[in-house]
Amino acid sequence: MSSSGSNMSTPASTPPGTPSASSATPPPTIQRKRRGMGVWIAVAVVIVVIVIVVGLGVGLGWFKTSSSSKASTACGPGSTATSAPGATDFKGEGSTLVAPLMDQWATSYGNGAQLTYDPAGSSSGVTAITDKVVDFGASDYPLTTTQLNAIPGVVTIPESVGAVVPIYYVPGIVYPTGVSSLNFNGSVLAQMFDGTITNWNNPALQALNPGVSFPTATILPVHRTGGSGTTFIFTSFLTADSSAWASSYGKSPVWPTTITVGTSASGNGGEADTVGTTPDTLGYVDLNYALNSASSVGIGNVQNPSLAFIRASVVDTVSALHDLSPTLPTGTQTWYNVSYLNAPGKTDYPIVGLTYILTYSDLSSAFSSYSLANAENLVDFIHWAITVGQSWSAPLYYAPISSGLLSIDNATLNSFTFSGASIPVCVPTSGSAPA
Amino acid sequence: MKFDHHARRKLFSHAIAVVTGLCVIAVLYPLFSIIYTAVIKGGAVLFQAGFLTDVPPNACSIVACKTVGIGPDIEGTFILVGLAACIAIPVGVLAAIFATEYRTRGFGRAISFTADVLTGAPSIIMGAFIFGYFVLYDPTIVYSAITGALALSAIMIPIITRTAEEALRTVPEATREAALALGISKWKATLRITLITALPGVATGALLAVMRAAGEAAPLLFTALGSNLPFQGFNQPTAALPLLIYNFALSPYSNQEKVAWGATLFLLVAILIANVATRYMIHRLSRRYAGM
Amino acid sequence: MESTTPSPPSSPEAPKPRPVSRWPDRIFVGFVGIVGAGVLALALAIVAILVYSARSSFNRFGLAFLWGSTWNPQTEVFGVLPFVAGTLITSAIALLVAVPLALGSAIFITTQAPRFLRGPVGTAIELLAAVPSVIYGLWGIYVIHPLMESTVEPWLKQYLGWTGLFSGPAIGLDVLTAGLILAVMIVPTICAVSRDTLLAVPESQREAALSLGATSWETTRVSMLPYARSGIVGGVILGLGRALGETMAVTMVIGNIDKVPTSLLSPGQTIASLIANELLSSISSLQVAAILECGLVLLAISLLVNVAARVLVWRVSGGRVVGVGVL
Repeated sequence: MSSSGSNMSTPASTPPGTPSASSATPPPTIQRKRRGMGVWIAVAVVIVVIVIVVGLGVGLGWFKTSSSSKASTACGPGSTATSAPGATDFKGEGSTLVAPLMDQWATSYGNGAQLTYDPAGSSSGVTAITDKVVDFGASDYPLTTTQLNAIPGVVTIPESVGAVVPIYYVPGIVYPTGVSSLNFNGSVLAQMFDGTITNWNNPALQALNPGVSFPTATILPVHRTGGSGTTFIFTSFLTADSSAWASSYGKSPVWPTTITVGTSASGNGGEADTVGTTPDTLGYVDLNYALNSASSVGIGNVQNPSLAFIRASVVDTVSALHDLSPTLPTGTQTWYNVSYLNAPGKTDYPIVGLTYILTYSDLSSAFSSYSLANAENLVDFIHWAITVGQSWSAPLYYAPISSGLLSIDNATLNSFTFSGASIPVCVPTSGSAPA
Repeated sequence: MKFDHHARRKLFSHAIAVVTGLCVIAVLYPLFSIIYTAVIKGGAVLFQAGFLTDVPPNACSIVACKTVGIGPDIEGTFILVGLAACIAIPVGVLAAIFATEYRTRGFGRAISFTADVLTGAPSIIMGAFIFGYFVLYDPTIVYSAITGALALSAIMIPIITRTAEEALRTVPEATREAALALGISKWKATLRITLITALPGVATGALLAVMRAAGEAAPLLFTALGSNLPFQGFNQPTAALPLLIYNFALSPYSNQEKVAWGATLFLLVAILIANVATRYMIHRLSRRYAGM
Repeated sequence: MESTTPSPPSSPEAPKPRPVSRWPDRIFVGFVGIVGAGVLALALAIVAILVYSARSSFNRFGLAFLWGSTWNPQTEVFGVLPFVAGTLITSAIALLVAVPLALGSAIFITTQAPRFLRGPVGTAIELLAAVPSVIYGLWGIYVIHPLMESTVEPWLKQYLGWTGLFSGPAIGLDVLTAGLILAVMIVPTICAVSRDTLLAVPESQREAALSLGATSWETTRVSMLPYARSGIVGGVILGLGRALGETMAVTMVIGNIDKVPTSLLSPGQTIASLIANELLSSISSLQVAAILECGLVLLAISLLVNVAARVLVWRVSGGRVVGVGVL
C-alpha cells in the first residue's frame, strides 16, 4: 500500500546487504495501482453527486410545467377578503369512493398550491385527521357524537354525493333479449352477502329476474377490508331494507365479522378488480369505479321504494338528493343520522351517500405549524371544492351537493378562525372548471 | 446388458441428476416468466414518448387520463434512495469500522451482533416504527420524503454495516501492522489503507443496500405515502416506483395496469443493469487490489 | 493497537523522531464509536417506539393477546393468533416447496453442471433475489392467481380434497397462493447459501468418495451433504426469516381476511400484511395499538429465527458470512 509512498523510500535505517529498495522512483507496479485507486474514488463521488443533483434539480425544474404558473388569485367583486389566499401545499387522506373526484380537484385547483390526496380508505382519513398528519380527512361515514367528542374541534363538511352500486361477474349467466343486467333488492342482496343464499340460481333472485338463466355456481361475495365508508353506505342500505340484516349486523364501516362467507378487497379499486378477475363474485363499489371496470363486470339495478329497478346514474342520484330533505345538522354536530337512502321518487336511486371533509375549525390551535397562508389556503380550497369544484361532479359520476348542504358548509367555513380572527374567504376565481 | 447392482446405482444417480436439473429449471422459470410478462404487458407503454417524464394517470378522470407516465415516481425514487444512501452509507461504514478495528471492546461486538440481527427485521416494521415516532414527534411531516428516506436508511444501515464489516475483516492483519509500523497514526491507517483495501467489499455492500432500498415499498406505505405529483419538497409526500406498482396493481383501470407493468419493466431493467455494472466494477476493483 | 513512536536508531545521522499526538486517534475512536452507538440506538429505538405506541393494547389485553383468535375492530376485541397462524402456514408452505427445489438446484450447480454454467446460473439466481417484492406480487396477481384459480386449485380439490386440506371455494387469493409466491422468493436465498456451503466442502472429500467407486449422487450424499448440513439448515432458516417478514407480495394475494385459516384454500392474513392493510385504515386508536403490538410479535419471531440462522451459517463457514449477494 503506497499512500505514504514518500515515507517508504527513506526508512530510518537501511540494514546492510538489502537490495536498494530505496531508489528514487517506486517500482512501476505500485505507482500504477496508486493511480487506479484515485480514479475509482473520484468516479464514485461524481456519480453520487450527479444522482442527487439530477434528482433535485430536475424535480424542481423540468416537471413543474403545469403548476409553476400561479393562477390569478384576485378576489372578485362581493368578496370580503382583503388578500389573496396564500399558496401552500397541503395533504388530504381518506375515502377511495371520492378519490377520482379528489384527484380531479387536485389537478384543477389552481392557485399554485398542490394537494396530495392519499386514498387509503375512509377510516384512514379519520385516523389521519385525528393524528393531525394531514390537513383534512375525507370519509364517507360520518362520525358519531362519541367519536366527535374524541376529536375536539373537528368539523364535518359534506362535499360530494356518490352512488354505491352492486357489481357482479358471472360468466355463466344467459340473458334474454333486451336484458343486459340483473335486478336486485335490498333483502336479496342481504341474503346473498351473508351466506343465507348460496348459489346464483336461487328462487329469490330468479323471481326478480324472470327469463334470465343462472348457473348453479356458488356465490362469492366480496367485501371491503378495514374501515370503509362504502361499506357503511352499503350496510346502511341493507339495514334499512332487510330486517334480518338489521337485527344481525346493522350498519357499520367495518364489514360484520360474524359473516364467514366471502373474501375481501382493499379499496374501491381493489374491490372492482377482485370482482372483475374472479368468476361468480358479487361486490359493491362507487359508480365511477363500476363504470370504469372491465366490460365483463355487470352493474346491478337496485329496487327503490317505488318498486322500480333503477340502474344508478348521475340523474337518478341528483333526483334522490332533491327528493329527500332530511334535517341537516351544523358542521360541529354529528351527521350520523342524515340519510339519503331510499328516496321516494319513481326514478330515484336508493343507495346514495355523502362524502365528508373532516378538519378543524380553529386552525391555529389545531395545527401548531400553520401560518395564516396555510389557513387561508385550506379554507380557499374547501370553498372552491364545494362551489367551482362541483362542476366536475357529474362528468365523474357524482352528484353535486344541494343548495341546502352548500349553505350549511358555507356557514361552517365562516366559523373557521386563525389566531382568533376569522379567515377571509375569496369568491373563488382560482382553479378551472371543465371546458 | 446385465441390469446389475452397479448399473442400478448409476441409473439412480442419473435420475437424480435429471431431477436436480429440473429443479434448476423450476427455480429459474419465475425469472423468465416475470421478464416475459413485463415485456408483453409493459413493453408497449414503456416506449411511448414521455413515459419517463409524464405524470401517471389518475383514476381515469377527464383531464388526467390523457397522460401516461412515471416521471414523478422515477424522480421520487432517486431522491428517496439518494437521501437514504447519504445517511446510511457513512453511518454503516463508520459503524463497521468501529466494530472491526476496535473489536476487543465488547461494544464493538455488540454493534456487530445488532447489525446482523437487524438485517432480518421485516422492512414494514421499519416503516411502522418511523411512522410511530413521527406521529408523536411532529405529525406534519409524517408523510414526507424525510420520513421515507429515514425508513429506507433504517433498512440499509444494518446491511451496509454487516457487509462492510465482512470486507474489513478480510484485510490481512499484516497490512494494518505494516501501516502502523511505518508510523502512520491509527486513524489514518484505518481510513486510507484498511478501508481502501476493503473497498470492493464495502462498495458491494453499499450498492446492494441501495438496490434493495430502490425496490422497497412496504416502509414507504406510511412514510413517503406516494403521490402523483412531481417532487414538491422534502416535507411533502413523495412518489416512488414500487409504490406506484403496488397502487396500480390493485386498480381495475386498464391504463393504470399498463403503467404498472411499464414501471415494472423499467425497474427490472434498471436493477439488472445495476447488478451487472456492480459486478463488473467490483471485479475490476478486486483485480486491482488482488494480492495486496 | 496504539501507534508508537519508532525507537531512535543508534546511528548519529538518523533524524530525530517527532512525538506523535494521540488526540486525532482519540477523536476518531470517539466519533466512530458514537456512530456505532447509533446503530445500537436504532435497534433500541425500534423496540421502544413500538412498545410505547402499543401500550394501550398491552394494558387492555395483557398476555391473552398472544392466543386471542378474535380480531374485531367494532367490539374492540383483538388477538394476534389469526395472523400468527397465517404467517406460519404461508411460511410452512413456502419452505415445503422451496427447500427441495433450492437444494436440488444447488446440488445440480455444484456437482452436475459444467463449470461454464455455474457463473450464469449463479447470476440468474442472484437476479431472482434482487427482484423487488411488489413485482413478485404483481406477477402473482396476473400470472399465478388465474393459474391457481382456474387449474391448480380445482385439481387439488378434486384429487386431494379427501385430506380435508382443500375445503372452501377456489378463489385463488388464499394462503396457498401466498405460500407459493413466498416459495419463489426464498428459493434464491436458500439456493445461494446451500451452493456456497457445498462449494466450501474440501475437494478431497469428493475425490475420496469418487475414487472408491461411488456414483455422482452417492458422492454428493455421502461426502458433501453431511459436511454442509448445518450450513444448509442455516440457509433454510435464513429463508424462513425472509418469508416471515415479506409484505408486499403476500398482501396482494392472500385474500386479507382476519381469521385463522381453516384450509389451505382459505383467505388469511399474515402479521406483515395486516400492518400494510390496516395500520392506516384503523377505526380506533386501540386498533392501531393492537396492530403495532402484532408488529412487535413479528419482530420478536423474525429476530429469533435470524439469530438461529446466523449462528448455524457462521459455524460452517468458519465465521465468514456467506450468500452476501442474496441478503
